[in-house]
This record gives sequence, structure tokens and C-alpha cells, in this order.
Amino acid sequence: MPHYFFNLRYGPGSDRLAVDPEGDELASVEEAHQHALQSVRGLIAGPPSHAVRDWFVCTFEITDEAGRHVMTVPFTEIVPDEDDED
Amino acid sequence: MAQAQQFESPNRLLRAVASEDFTRLQSHLEPVDLLNQQTLIKPNVRTEHLYFVESGIASITAESANGRVEVGMIGREGLVGATPVLLGSDRVPHDHFVQMAGTALRIRAEVVSTAVDESPTLRKLLLRYVQTEMVQVRQTAFINATLNIEARLARWLLMCHDRVDGDELLLKHEFLSMMLGVQRSGVTLAMQQLVGARRIRAKRGRITVLDREGLEEVADGGYGAPEAEYARLIEGA
Repeated sequence: MPHYFFNLRYGPGSDRLAVDPEGDELASVEEAHQHALQSVRGLIAGPPSHAVRDWFVCTFEITDEAGRHVMTVPFTEIVPDEDDED
Repeated sequence: MAQAQQFESPNRLLRAVASEDFTRLQSHLEPVDLLNQQTLIKPNVRTEHLYFVESGIASITAESANGRVEVGMIGREGLVGATPVLLGSDRVPHDHFVQMAGTALRIRAEVVSTAVDESPTLRKLLLRYVQTEMVQVRQTAFINATLNIEARLARWLLMCHDRVDGDELLLKHEFLSMMLGVQRSGVTLAMQQLVGARRIRAKRGRITVLDREGLEEVADGGYGAPEAEYARLIEGA
């Protein structure tokens, strides 16, 4: 199974990127995407961080085992669009 | 088998036991290894043994569908299983497992029950120990209600550091995430802050404590009160 890394970007520059040293095995890019959204919900529901004033400016930069960029998931993605009925 | 000697034991509680009381327990203390991830006390099952931890760390965890979270930590200062047995329960609803391998002196629960029935001094000491566990749990409740991820991580690292020799801790972020009840990426984020402030060094799952006082500052009042209470109640500090 492919291994994906969920690097947390919380501001510009390399010192504002929390590089995921462990990663997770997930079947597909779509599963990695869903996993990222799950983590976003967990972070927002959980305790604050000294380093982050606003979770909604953060993104997950997902990379693969080779270090290649796979997908960027903005935290704002968990907020439903206004015209969403559910 | 050689009998355990009181003053050779790294267990701080056992060293605080009066020598007559130690004599009651001595022949019943059985040295055992604590294996990584080994369950010491299963939830909702009769508690058979208590463990005076000599090295390594045990965790008390609560479990839900979303995984488990640590609600208590016991190392060489403590006796795993003391709380139910001293307070008159034969079982507990929480899992007690080994989160860092080590060794312990194991003793049967009924031996401890009988010994405290016979010796008021032993009962008093062990109840005081139970009180220190209670203070730790209340501190955890306070922290979970108020403190940020960095403070929780700093407190937890200090508590581990108290229970090991040396300054190195082998810990994965995934495991810390479970222990603290925080997303793994939140742990990674907090770790980066502690590394950036030079409180710790972190390389390939190896965390080195560089600055204990600095960690205490980050812990923001989360660390210290239970530890001082232990020293006062058990060691007469």
C-alpha cells in the first residue's frame, strides 16, 4: 500500500511547515485526502496550538514516499459551501 | 530465588515502606519483566496482581471507538493496581498496560489486602500513595480543560523523563498522539515548537530532553504540583 505523509503548513517559509516523519499507509490518493480531512476536523475540535492562531489558514501538504507533492488540502475544505443543503 | 531487598529497589514507594511492613511483603514479591504493550490489568476483570514498577512505564488508558487515551501514568514511583485494591474494589474499568518496557516486583492482590488489614502503617502509606495518583488524575483533568498542545506535550515528556534513567526517550508521534488524545499532526507541530525553542532534540523517534526548566515553563503550571505532593506524602519532603 502507498505511504502518504501529511505535512502541516501553518505559515509561509520552511520553519512554518511541520514535516510528518511517520506517515500513513492508505490505499489511494482519495483515501489520503479523506484522511487529511479527518485530521483537520480532529485538530479543530482539539486543543489549540501556541504556534497557530487560526487553523483555517493552515493546509496539509500531502507527499508520497519519494517526497513528491501529491495534493494540498486547505483546512477551509471542511467548511460546507453556502449552497450545500446538508 | 533471591528475595527482593528493600533498599536496593529502585521503586520509591517500596523504599518508603516501614521495614516491619516490608518484611510482611518481602517473600511475596516476585521479580517480573514488563514487556512492551503487555497488559498488566485488564478492564472489568478481577485484579490478580499489583506491580511495584522498578523500571519502565505503565499507562492507564480509557478506550472509545475513536481509540484510546492515557488517563494515568505509573513508573518507578508507583504501584500498579493500588487504587482498586486499597479502595476495596476487585476490578477497574480501565486498561493498565506497559508503554515502556522494564521490570517490576509483582505481588498478589489478596496478599496486599491482608497485609493492609494487619498493618495500619502500611495501609496509611499505600492510601497516601493512592492520594498522589488522585492528584495526578485531577491535574490531568485540569490540563485537558485548559492547556494547549505544547504544554500538554511538555508535561508528558517531563513525566516520562522523571521515570527513566538518562535524557533519551524513544517515542513515535503516533504513540504520543494516542497518549495525549491529540491528532498526530498536532503532536508533530508541538514537537517542532519544542525543538525550535531548544527544549528538546528530536531525531528518528528519539527525543532528547535538553532543558528541563524550559519544558516546565512551556508546561505552564501543568507540571510540578502532583510531583511535589508525591515527595511530601511519600518521602516526607
